[in-house]
Amino acid sequence: MNGVGLHKKLEENAGLLIFGILFVSTIGGLVQVLPSLFQESLKTPTGTTRPYSAVELAGRDIYIREGCSVCHSQQIRPLLAEVKRYGPYSRAGESVYDRPFLWGSKRTGPDLHRVGGKYSDIWHRLHLINPRDVVPNSIMPAYPWLAERDANAGNDIHLKMIALRKLGHPYSDEQIEAAPAALEGLTDIDALIGYLQILGTWTKPEDTP
Amino acid sequence: MPDMPTAFWSGWIATVTIVSFVGLVWFIFSVYFSADAGQEESEGPVWDENLREGSNPAPMWWFWLILALMVFSVLYLMLYPGLGSYAGALRWSQGGRLNESMVDYESEFGGLRSLIAEAKLETLQADDALLRSAQRVFDRNCAVCHGYDAAGQASYFPDLTDGEWQWGGSPEQIEQSIRNGRNAVMVGWSPILGDDGVLQMVDYIKRLGQDDAGGHPAQPKYDQLCVACHGLDGSGNAALGAPSLIDDTWLYGNSDSALQHSIAIGRTGEMPAFGERLDETQIRLLVALLTQNSSQE
Repeated sequence: MNGVGLHKKLEENAGLLIFGILFVSTIGGLVQVLPSLFQESLKTPTGTTRPYSAVELAGRDIYIREGCSVCHSQQIRPLLAEVKRYGPYSRAGESVYDRPFLWGSKRTGPDLHRVGGKYSDIWHRLHLINPRDVVPNSIMPAYPWLAERDANAGNDIHLKMIALRKLGHPYSDEQIEAAPAALEGLTDIDALIGYLQILGTWTKPEDTP
Repeated sequence: MPDMPTAFWSGWIATVTIVSFVGLVWFIFSVYFSADAGQEESEGPVWDENLREGSNPAPMWWFWLILALMVFSVLYLMLYPGLGSYAGALRWSQGGRLNESMVDYESEFGGLRSLIAEAKLETLQADDALLRSAQRVFDRNCAVCHGYDAAGQASYFPDLTDGEWQWGGSPEQIEQSIRNGRNAVMVGWSPILGDDGVLQMVDYIKRLGQDDAGGHPAQPKYDQLCVACHGLDGSGNAALGAPSLIDDTWLYGNSDSALQHSIAIGRTGEMPAFGERLDETQIRLLVALLTQNSSQE
């Protein structure tokens, strides 16, 4: 048997060819993906990383709904320029409660992974309603409707938390019960600011090697 | 050493990688250099009189290209981490590269930066190049709130050029504001003053410090409720972040409606802490930039 013979055999047997293609294309996954499923360092929360509170979770869903991740990454790479500009580089353990993670790879706007606490709440409010009010040369779209919409319009925040608990997020019964009340009277913009203000604040450089 | 789940998975990665690589090498070589390749082909079907499997073999330059890629792969897997927990001959890692560039950065700029961090403000302010650096730090970190001209914005973010400092204008106080941030709270007084009381108080604080302020109907309430923070003469208290009421600067705008809002509902002002985001050199440069006018006057 040689390569030509093998080729001939595969070409003449469709079933064998299908199996061969599947086998070859799994090799990359067997090396790259399979071992990482057993890698504890990818599942262990870094620093004080915890599941999102009801308000933060609602804010995160608004972040996803409004497509913030289309222009803003949440991933600081281990490069000098990025660390100097944005702060400590992102660790895998910071994203264990992100489903799905919002790392992103495209930056039309700046990276937001360590934006939590950098600006005051009122700044975020003004900036989201009309970015030009505070940053005259900003190209970011305005999101005025966020200030009008009820943050728990779908009344489903507790259901989301129950779903996440099934995936292993350690929410207590009390947290889930209290979730709708926590969003009482808040608008989308409040929840989104709540989310932005905790981004990247759970890990300090000394927490990880 | 690369982060691996267990020794088993490290071995797994190395074995699958090597076995599939060897398999590929065998396949490529046997396709190109098989002794009996021609014989097998002669048994296959023939089209158009003489066209059969293998009558137009793969060109040799493909082979050389694949061979070069194979050599590259072998060298790569020897030099860099790839085979399980084997760290590679160069001991390269992402974190290591970052640390190296940090060390390079420190050795190139560290001396200058520590000189700046300890320099006198007058020295820094006399150097145009340093002031331009300071302006870049300001643009990156402060301008989105206070404006690129530092003249304040949107009636929420104070003017830093007018010489009025809510939390004190000495270099030490400004440094404190940058490093640890500030939180100012003005409570709302409408439950106590009532609607008319709020309007009277607006009128009174606008007259405060002028000659006709005495005997104003709101004065007793001011002396009772407001003096603790803003002082009897309305000059404010930098330790509490209580602004002066006798200058022309109104933090939240000078319209009557803005003043009514401040008195009736109250205000919360927040300056975030930048002590962890900026280093000593950057903070020193900002203090030099912001006290530039006051020290020249």
